[in-house]
Amino acid sequence: MAYPNKEEREICYKARDDFWKCVEDNDGDKSKCKKLRSIYESKCSKSWVKHFDKRVEFLNYKKQMAAGYDPITQEPLKPET
Amino acid sequence: MVKQEVKALSGKAAIGGPWSLVDFNGELKTSKDFHGKWILVYFGFTHCPDICPEELEKIAEVVDEIDDNPNVPNLTPLFITVDPDRDTIGAMKEYLKEFSQKVIGFTGTSDQIDNVCKAFRVYYSKGPLDEDGDYIVDHTIITYLVGPDGNFVQYYGQNVEAPEFTKSVIEKMKTYKPHYDK
Repeated sequence: MAYPNKEEREICYKARDDFWKCVEDNDGDKSKCKKLRSIYESKCSKSWVKHFDKRVEFLNYKKQMAAGYDPITQEPLKPET
Repeated sequence: MVKQEVKALSGKAAIGGPWSLVDFNGELKTSKDFHGKWILVYFGFTHCPDICPEELEKIAEVVDEIDDNPNVPNLTPLFITVDPDRDTIGAMKEYLKEFSQKVIGFTGTSDQIDNVCKAFRVYYSKGPLDEDGDYIVDHTIITYLVGPDGNFVQYYGQNVEAPEFTKSVIEKMKTYKPHYDK
C-alpha cells in the first residue's frame, strides 16, 4: 500500500482537526460530531486514526493529571473514545 | 565536574559508528562515504502519520539555513527508514522529494537497519497490523549531527525548533576538532 503524499496528509490532518475541534466545542460529546468523524475516518488511514485518537486521549490524561487527578484514590477516567 | 566531563566523552564515543545501507538510487553506501562531510541522521518511515513529516520539514529548514551561511560548511541530511519492508528505494525517493532535494534516503535489509539503529541507539518497533494490513512503526525521534571524521557530535530532540537547532549546528561546526585516530 502506498504511503499518503503531502496533499493527502494535509487533507487528513484537516479532517482530524475539524473533528476534534467539534468534540471540544461540544464539551466532549462525540455524538454531535458523527459526520465529521466519518469524514476523518475516510480521509485518514485506520492506523493513523488510531494513532491520533490515542494521542488525544493521552494528552487529555496528561491534562487531568496536571489538574490534580489522582489515579490511586479517584474513580478511573472515562476513556474519550 | 571532572567526572561529568568523562561521562560526556564516553557517551560521545558510543553513539554512531560504521554502517552500510542502500541509498534511494540503489547504491550501496557506507558511513565512510560521508567522511569529510557534516551530516544529519534521522530515522523514520514513509507511512509515518505526523512526526516524521514535521521533523523532515524542520531538517530541510535547518539544512537550507546552514547551506546559505557562507561562514560554515554545508550539511548533508540522511533519512534512514525503520520500515524496510515497505520503504523501497522508489518509495523513499518519491517521499523525500516532497520535503527537500537535499535529503538522501536510505533503506536496506532488516539486518542492515537493525545494525544502524543499534549504532545510533534508536529504538523501533512495528505495531500491530490493522484491518487494511497497515501498521505504524514506533521509533525514537532524534536527529544526530555527525562530524566530518564520522564521529557523533550532538543530538536534537523533537522539542528543538529550527532556529535553535541551526544555531547549535553552527556553534558545533565552529568549535569542531576532528578525531581521526579511529
